[in-house]
Amino acid sequence: MTTAKDNCFTVEGKLALPYQYFAGSTGSRFLISLRDEKKIKGLECKKCKKVFVPPRSTCEVCFEDISQNWVEVKNSGVVTGFTIVRYEEPHQPVKPPYILGLIKLDGADTPITHIIKGVPLTKMKTGLKVQAVFAKNTTATILDIDHFKPMAEKPKMEMGYTYDELEIGMSASFTKTISETDVYLFAGISGDFNPMHLNEEFAKRTPFGTRIAHGALPQSLIAPVLGMKLPGLGTVALEITVRFKAPTYFGDTITAVGEVVEKLEKRRWVRMALRWTNQKDELVAEGTALVMPPVPLPE
Amino acid sequence: MSQRVAVCAVAQIKNQADIWYQRFQSMLFECVEAVIRETGVTFDMDKGIRNIVTCSDDVFDARTISDNGMTDVVGAHYRGEEKAAQDGANALGYAMASILSGHDDVILVTGHCKESQSESRRMCTNLAFDPFYTRPLGLDYLNAAAFQARAYMQKSGLGDGHLAEIVARARQNGAKNPYARDNEPVTKEAVLKSPLLADPIREMHWYPVTDWAVAMLLCCEERAREFTDKPVWITGFGSCMDSYFLGDRDLTANFALKKAAAYAFRMAGITAPQNAFDIVELNDSIAYQLPLWAEGVGLAEDGRGAAWIDAGGPDKQHVNLSGGMLNGNPIMLGGLARTTEAVLQLRGEAGERQVADAGRALAHGTTGPAGQHHAVIILER
Repeated sequence: MTTAKDNCFTVEGKLALPYQYFAGSTGSRFLISLRDEKKIKGLECKKCKKVFVPPRSTCEVCFEDISQNWVEVKNSGVVTGFTIVRYEEPHQPVKPPYILGLIKLDGADTPITHIIKGVPLTKMKTGLKVQAVFAKNTTATILDIDHFKPMAEKPKMEMGYTYDELEIGMSASFTKTISETDVYLFAGISGDFNPMHLNEEFAKRTPFGTRIAHGALPQSLIAPVLGMKLPGLGTVALEITVRFKAPTYFGDTITAVGEVVEKLEKRRWVRMALRWTNQKDELVAEGTALVMPPVPLPE
Repeated sequence: MSQRVAVCAVAQIKNQADIWYQRFQSMLFECVEAVIRETGVTFDMDKGIRNIVTCSDDVFDARTISDNGMTDVVGAHYRGEEKAAQDGANALGYAMASILSGHDDVILVTGHCKESQSESRRMCTNLAFDPFYTRPLGLDYLNAAAFQARAYMQKSGLGDGHLAEIVARARQNGAKNPYARDNEPVTKEAVLKSPLLADPIREMHWYPVTDWAVAMLLCCEERAREFTDKPVWITGFGSCMDSYFLGDRDLTANFALKKAAAYAFRMAGITAPQNAFDIVELNDSIAYQLPLWAEGVGLAEDGRGAAWIDAGGPDKQHVNLSGGMLNGNPIMLGGLARTTEAVLQLRGEAGERQVADAGRALAHGTTGPAGQHHAVIILER
């Protein structure tokens, strides 16, 4: 008989072996702490000054019996290495892609391996501080730690450009379309109910021939530039001067631009040139501002 | 007592993706018969093979005591047989020690593996991890190596481009080796586009599924010429095991490989490994390992593996002219494959890839996640 592929018979096999692994007295204690107290424990070699996690009863370096030197390590630590597992296999505890990390727990010297979640795959890096998230239901295995997640970082106060960060020529802008609603709200805010802003029949008889916005309304659009963009959050405006060049009609789209033109070293203030233009690139107003940029907050 | 141990013969089948037409018993039997044909060795209890050292893996063979399926094939009934469940380099070390001790004169060393019969090499190697702390997390040899790859690339400046170059070179070299697995030649660009399996390891960075078998005849110095005119001498051997847990090790330090190499060099009287070898065969199952292991055996400076690649180190120092593990050898047999190539080169039988007048070679084997265990063999003409 020739050995053609048709004549080759294969027998399907699968090794499935129900089995109970005794975790050992050291391993048992580790898993019981994890299950009952949600605490991660290690064993310390006092001679080598090394805390082993997972725990071993004997130091592999000096062969000392360290089985009684239990120490509790923190549930938090730092990632010393990682990979992103992208292939799928039946032996995986979660669906890929998933991050496997080497995590050195605070108080331990030997990083453990575990799953890391809650980080975009592209943002994952070594040095990340992580903390254990314990499983809702215990299985009395290492998966009683469900995974590690990034430590919540203390929210950092956002801040604009400081005096030292600002350079002459830096600029920023804000653009907005002025609607009838804006004008009516602004009338209410300012108390300026001048009919040239509110009454179309009245306005028809003015040189503008229709209603126009309050001059201070487009002018106010420089506030988001100075206060939120350049220099930005934390800025104090000291002086603003404006010369109006053209009216703003309802429906006009106004762009307010601020540019750093002078740094006043003595006071650490900044002078900025201001310009307002409309959708037709007509100059609506121009002026200057003197501002005090944000000062770094103490840590 | 013998002073040196000779490799009198090596016989191998071609590395292949799927030897569907043979059981691994038949694969190995071809090799054993070839050794007998070539050397005239018998299984005579006084003058012939009294002891056999086999190498195979229980999980890849899907049976415990995997040598049990091979004892008749290797002629082990009515005589001694031991199995090395480690890289085959350890089987050679064990056979060498048996002969040096005077316990045996002649030993047959064999290895077999049909990776193609397992559904997934990653599932198999997941079982190499302990059931308490690591196996449940889905660790296997591939993702364990990925930790090492990232750390080493960070340390040495090795980039994705270097890895692509290593893969392309392995396949070019493999194409010149009639025993190497037939692979499609690849360009660097194709490797760079190959999908990521476990960052930073790409599909093409990983050695392909391979079936292979090999047999060697080892003999004491006094009797070597009974079996061959071209003995190759094992003049050095060393092996070392690193810590088990990945977190316990410095994954880029080559601790175990340096120890293994130091033992082997001491035995062979080598003091300057950088220029000591005409042939070097390193067990690079994943591309990043070629420069890392080169550092470990002293071919490249510590942490300078990338510069070593840039400077053309692999070609200058005749590293993995066979194609290496990266071109395809089965798990566990890397060290035997490296040794086989070294023997062919030292005997002047390496065909198109022959290095003129090769006199001394280094062969390396490794097992375990991210190179936990290493063995180094020095061979001389």
